[in-house]
Amino acid sequence: MVEPLLEIRDLRTYFIGKDVEVRAVDGIDLTVYPRQIVCIVGESGSGKSITSLSIMRLLPQPRGKIVSGQITFGGQDLLKLTEDQMTDVRGNEISMIFQEPMTALNPVLTIGDQITEVLLRHRKLNRRQAISKAVEMLQFVGVPRAAEIVHEYPHQLSGGLRQRVMIAMAMVCEPKLLIADEPTTALDVTIQAQVLELMKKMRRDFHTAIILITHDLGVVADMADHVMVMYGGQIVESVNADDLFARPLHPYTKALMESIPSLIEEKDTLYSIPGTVPDAASFPTGCRFAQRCPLAQPSCFETAPELQQMGPGHLVRCDKVGREGEGVPM
Amino acid sequence: MGTYIVRRLLGMIPMLFLITVAVFLMMHAAPGNAFDAILNPGIKDMAALKQRLIESAGLNKPLWWQYGHWITQFVQGNWGYSFTQHQPVITLIGPALRNTLLLAVMAEIMILAIGIPVGILQARNPYGRFDYVISTFSFVLFSVPYFILAIFLIYFFAIDLGIFPAQGAVGTGPGAGSFVDHVDHAFLPALAIALVSTTVYSRYTRGSMLDVSRKDYVRTAYAKGLSGSLVFRKHVLRNAMIPIVTQFGYDIGGLVGGAVILEGLFSYQGMGLLTINAVNGRDYPVIMATSLLFAVGVLIGNLVADILYAVVDPRIRYN
Repeated sequence: MVEPLLEIRDLRTYFIGKDVEVRAVDGIDLTVYPRQIVCIVGESGSGKSITSLSIMRLLPQPRGKIVSGQITFGGQDLLKLTEDQMTDVRGNEISMIFQEPMTALNPVLTIGDQITEVLLRHRKLNRRQAISKAVEMLQFVGVPRAAEIVHEYPHQLSGGLRQRVMIAMAMVCEPKLLIADEPTTALDVTIQAQVLELMKKMRRDFHTAIILITHDLGVVADMADHVMVMYGGQIVESVNADDLFARPLHPYTKALMESIPSLIEEKDTLYSIPGTVPDAASFPTGCRFAQRCPLAQPSCFETAPELQQMGPGHLVRCDKVGREGEGVPM
Repeated sequence: MGTYIVRRLLGMIPMLFLITVAVFLMMHAAPGNAFDAILNPGIKDMAALKQRLIESAGLNKPLWWQYGHWITQFVQGNWGYSFTQHQPVITLIGPALRNTLLLAVMAEIMILAIGIPVGILQARNPYGRFDYVISTFSFVLFSVPYFILAIFLIYFFAIDLGIFPAQGAVGTGPGAGSFVDHVDHAFLPALAIALVSTTVYSRYTRGSMLDVSRKDYVRTAYAKGLSGSLVFRKHVLRNAMIPIVTQFGYDIGGLVGGAVILEGLFSYQGMGLLTINAVNGRDYPVIMATSLLFAVGVLIGNLVADILYAVVDPRIRYN
């Protein structure tokens, strides 16, 4: 049995204001093995980005707080580290890339400056060595004219190139875990595919595990080993990628799949899930999806369902769907 | 960068031309002419004398000729003769401009040396005690008209404590006219200008810092494992200074014009005081020269702002 790289137990991250408590992440468990790609799927507001920021301990301050849970990474609980010790982890053992390559790079520093500062922080290199390492990394991620681009500024590059620079920056210390928060959402489709391909290459060549946050099931199908579907700060379904697409069980997962436009089937109007994500400041007492759920029974509004094993390695948070093979029609 | 500055400089030329035309026309539009002001209406053959003077001064020539004549003379340093002080305008402007520049530089040093660090400290701990105290103090100070502040400063520092002179730009007695003497005299008016502007700059710096702190690239910097203080110095500070530096450029342009009311209050012999006196005495040659210099001051300020902007922000440099 391989040791897990990252193990999250019962993580709760709240935003605590004067009179409100927003439960952005409300008790999630997550295990990532070395070299595994885990996708976290969900709508905006489901808590997937806050989960990743919790791992990095980069929550918006002063209100974001991890109120309970454990995040074990390489044998140590990240939540018990001091801020100083945590800076040794960030960018070195766990890296992160963000959604907006246009704003995630500092406009007044050169690309070279921004990549080398990671190396100078975590590796014993002098400036010249750091620069040559940065150039090497840029070439590796497929940036053309890498030796010139290190002296250029972000605004001189296209969105796709900037995202490659972000990946080079995140990977330059060869971290064990890469967290990518919707890395392709802002890019056009062809560039998207290239960036995803690049991330697979990173896994292959650096043995990096990846947590990929997305709301695009197409990306999930392309990338994921394991998938977690999040809703209202909780996991509603957790299963390996093949089973997810073969046998989605949770009504929310099914609804998400219904919302994908199909090339084969002709549909006049695309399905969309009615209603919106519940307000994380006042979740309903029962199932958080009940209001939008086609299967909802009166009992769903009263008791909140637990995450239950529905098949081998297949967890579902719903009382109304049967075990595998029993199949409940939608 | 070099071509950028050259481009900006070339861009100033049409502006400068328009300003000189405006100043010239303003003077021309004033009722009567210069000789009505200086000739004694009681003298014999007044009309003939006036006609002769008008011809000798070229005032009967077409407008464009007069403009051309004036501007060539002006460029050569012949700025005309003050009606009221009976001296060449340029000898009046020289010391006034020097005094005003000293005042402006001292005020700017105070503004930047106090305003920006205070703003930075506020932004390091927003909504903390220091921030609240300074914010409250700033609002109070900002609400006080600066001439009232000036009177208070004169009362406190000059009359009560007697450590700074209350009036004039130079003193009397030994050491008068030395650099130290000038600085001594410029201190209180500079402080009066600076106190109000300092609150603006600290407020501005604080806002800019907080704004930049929330940017995505700051989060990226933290995600790289940089320490808080390094992120602050390298990523936040530099970006936060972009609007401040630009503002600073525009402000120095305005300060060259002198603080008209303040110079009056302190009887400080700068451009402001010179202008007030010229306006009161209908001293057109002086008014023309000072208006032109004010306009040029603003132009230079804008140029400085543009250059500083390009220095701190590569996005401007490479466009």
